[in-house]
Amino acid sequence: MSIAAKNIIRLLVASAAIVAAAALLTFIVDPLQLFRPARLFAAMYSPDTRMQNAGLIRGQPFDTVFMGTSLAVHFRQSDIDRALGVRSLKLAMTGSNSQEQSFVLETAMERRPKRVIWQMDDWIFRNAGEIDANIYLPANLYRRNAAGLSEYLLSGAMARESLWLALRSITPLTPLVAKLTNGVVFKFPIAEVDDINALRRDTDIGSAYNKAKALAAFRSMIEPGARQSLSAGYDLAAMIAGLQRDAVGLIAGNPDVQFDIYFPPYSILQFVALRDASPAALQIGYDFTAFAFERLLQFPNVRLYDFRVAKEVTHDLGNYADVLHHSPAVDLKILSWIADGKYRVDPRAPLASLEQLKAQVAAYRVEP
Amino acid sequence: MLFNSYAFIFLFLPVVLAGYFWLGRRSNLAPVIWLALASLVFYSVSNWQFVALLLASIAFNYLIGYLLIAAKLAPAVRLAALTVGVTGDLVVLGIFKYAGFFAANLNALFATHFVVNILLPVGISFYTFTQIAFLVDAYRGNVARYALPHYALFVTYFPHLIAGPILHHKDMIPQFEREEAKHPQAHLILCGLIIFAIGLFKKTCLADGIQPLVSQAFGPNTPTFDQAWIGALAYTFQLYFDFSGYSDMAIGMSLMFGIFLPLNFNSPYKATSIVDFWRRWHMTLSQFLRDYLYIPLGGNRHGSLLRYTNLMITMLLGGLWHGAAWTFVVWGALHGVYLCVNHAWSNFGPKVAPRFEKAVNLAAFILTFFCVVVAWVFFRAESMASALSVLSKMADPSNIAFGRAEMAYAVFIAIYVAIAWFAPNTQEIMGYDHKNRKVGENFEGARLRPLYLYAAAAVLAFGILGIQQHSEFIYFRF
Repeated sequence: MSIAAKNIIRLLVASAAIVAAAALLTFIVDPLQLFRPARLFAAMYSPDTRMQNAGLIRGQPFDTVFMGTSLAVHFRQSDIDRALGVRSLKLAMTGSNSQEQSFVLETAMERRPKRVIWQMDDWIFRNAGEIDANIYLPANLYRRNAAGLSEYLLSGAMARESLWLALRSITPLTPLVAKLTNGVVFKFPIAEVDDINALRRDTDIGSAYNKAKALAAFRSMIEPGARQSLSAGYDLAAMIAGLQRDAVGLIAGNPDVQFDIYFPPYSILQFVALRDASPAALQIGYDFTAFAFERLLQFPNVRLYDFRVAKEVTHDLGNYADVLHHSPAVDLKILSWIADGKYRVDPRAPLASLEQLKAQVAAYRVEP
Repeated sequence: MLFNSYAFIFLFLPVVLAGYFWLGRRSNLAPVIWLALASLVFYSVSNWQFVALLLASIAFNYLIGYLLIAAKLAPAVRLAALTVGVTGDLVVLGIFKYAGFFAANLNALFATHFVVNILLPVGISFYTFTQIAFLVDAYRGNVARYALPHYALFVTYFPHLIAGPILHHKDMIPQFEREEAKHPQAHLILCGLIIFAIGLFKKTCLADGIQPLVSQAFGPNTPTFDQAWIGALAYTFQLYFDFSGYSDMAIGMSLMFGIFLPLNFNSPYKATSIVDFWRRWHMTLSQFLRDYLYIPLGGNRHGSLLRYTNLMITMLLGGLWHGAAWTFVVWGALHGVYLCVNHAWSNFGPKVAPRFEKAVNLAAFILTFFCVVVAWVFFRAESMASALSVLSKMADPSNIAFGRAEMAYAVFIAIYVAIAWFAPNTQEIMGYDHKNRKVGENFEGARLRPLYLYAAAAVLAFGILGIQQHSEFIYFRF
């Protein structure tokens, strides 16, 4: 055998050894806790929930799943548990569509939860592509198939995180590594499950959520250049198809699970912006609500809440960071409303809250 | 199929290599057919709906080429055949690549409502240009007659089919005809493997690694001054490492088959002028545009004014070649203006005193890089409005964030700057000499030091570990 041929073999064997070492490190440290709960090394968590959820579903104890978008992502599991007397797992994902949510919930169903609390709105049902073409959600990791596990074990980024987590567990190095773990470079900077995407406790709520910010967001939404984007994705047929596929299918397939579905308390400005700048989109939103409420309430395992008519919150613009996103104080109100059954949609009058919302939107005048 | 996928690296490439050399022991033609068929399989895995178009394009151009080379036609008929061939290629390219753009502009101008939804066949820009060059050379009498399998392989050869380098028939087909190439040469396979590893590392670790920072400028939020610069610089390096990584991988895997591909990059961000930049960036495209557009237009043979006009036309069309959007046209126009200014300065600017030469070169190097980054903003932006918005933020130092994240990103960018400006490029490391068909002479025999070998092994391993599920090469969309 020539020297060059021997060198080819050496090169390939050395490469394979490095790859195997990286995979072994990831397997042992297991940052996502896919194979076992963290024991040897302290558990750390990532704010990238589309990835992190695959591990949380495997490793966390829960009887209730909390799902939603950025409107639900800041909730604390400890608050949910306290308010509703459950053991919850928050799986909300920023900017997620119904297909992603349904896929993740479907995986969570394998752990047989008793209850799902689902923040739902018309926006999540916009047309979405195939789940396997979604570059942000590692579907195979949820499926735990060979492709998913090999992607996990053969990921250099995951090996780097594993090394970091391992170093963090060496006592003399812990303070230094903890200081360097800031989320900018490393993906697992959160030490407590409860803190995943929750607002830091020292956040200045007054400057993050106030009337000026809500009104500024409203004004930029209705600028002539921005108006077109208001109606983006508002296609009634596609939204209804999304509801049937992703929500109705899941609910019908899990009759033993209680689904508490709530439509979140957007500020009234969201609807007023549509009223003034894109009335056709607003009408589609109303039509979708009418269809969705009647359809969802056909299931005995669904309790539906329409917080969009919670005037005490939606008309107090100090609760908002923009026209949609509400403060942590409203998170707690939502939990208490669910606990008390407040704003629950009566199956005998499924469209009553919608009529109420229409009246509120029509009547509202934005202060100059 | 992506070069940076497990299926390609661990299945497709080894199987095709094994089949190629196994057939090479029996015949000189069978490996060529095998490689052409493998290339079609490679293309059809993710573009099966366009295989028929690719085959039709090969058949059409081969037929026209046959008429120009073998048939004894009158000069006027030969010209007509060339016109039909080139026009046919451009019409197909125009329909698939520019019809939507054309309709959108018509709609904007005349308030019409034409709707054109045509998918862009991957690689069409590359295989169209490759074949136009073949037809023009056939017309000029610079082409011997090629066998169909060799011609088909020249067009479909999978290392270059999707995103280049843009090959020249006179360079490639004689290599496909060589019998020695069909026998495994351990030295070439070793060098090819190392070049492939460097390319894979550039793509999966460097280009994909910096990709998240691009959204600092081009994401949904309005950037500050520093964020706009971080995003623009991140894209500058992402594009370079993505495309040069792809080119290295193409060169490396081709070398394993005993075929030398032309270089496509030569440290472009080390350029000290825009003319120099275009000798270093996407070199095979520059050569094509020079030989088949700029020179036929008259080049620099008819005075300064026409020279600058020809430069502008060449660069505008070069911009449009990259994509059917006004942002690409503006990118091409900017480079056209840069080149005109560069040539005018060379001709009419003051001579630099020797003692200032180093300082002037440094200034030219910085100015060149700055101009290139500014132009990339148009190349990357979704729209003209978005490009102008990012540029306006890059010119507004009054609004700076520079928090913890921006500081970390700046360090990240500095590492990429150091690599692009100061590290040797792949061909320097490997001693790759396309013209003389030489590579890795320092590695031959026992001269490959273990340190280099294990460093190469680490580069390959990190390249594999960096593979992400969905990470296309940027140039696939051109």
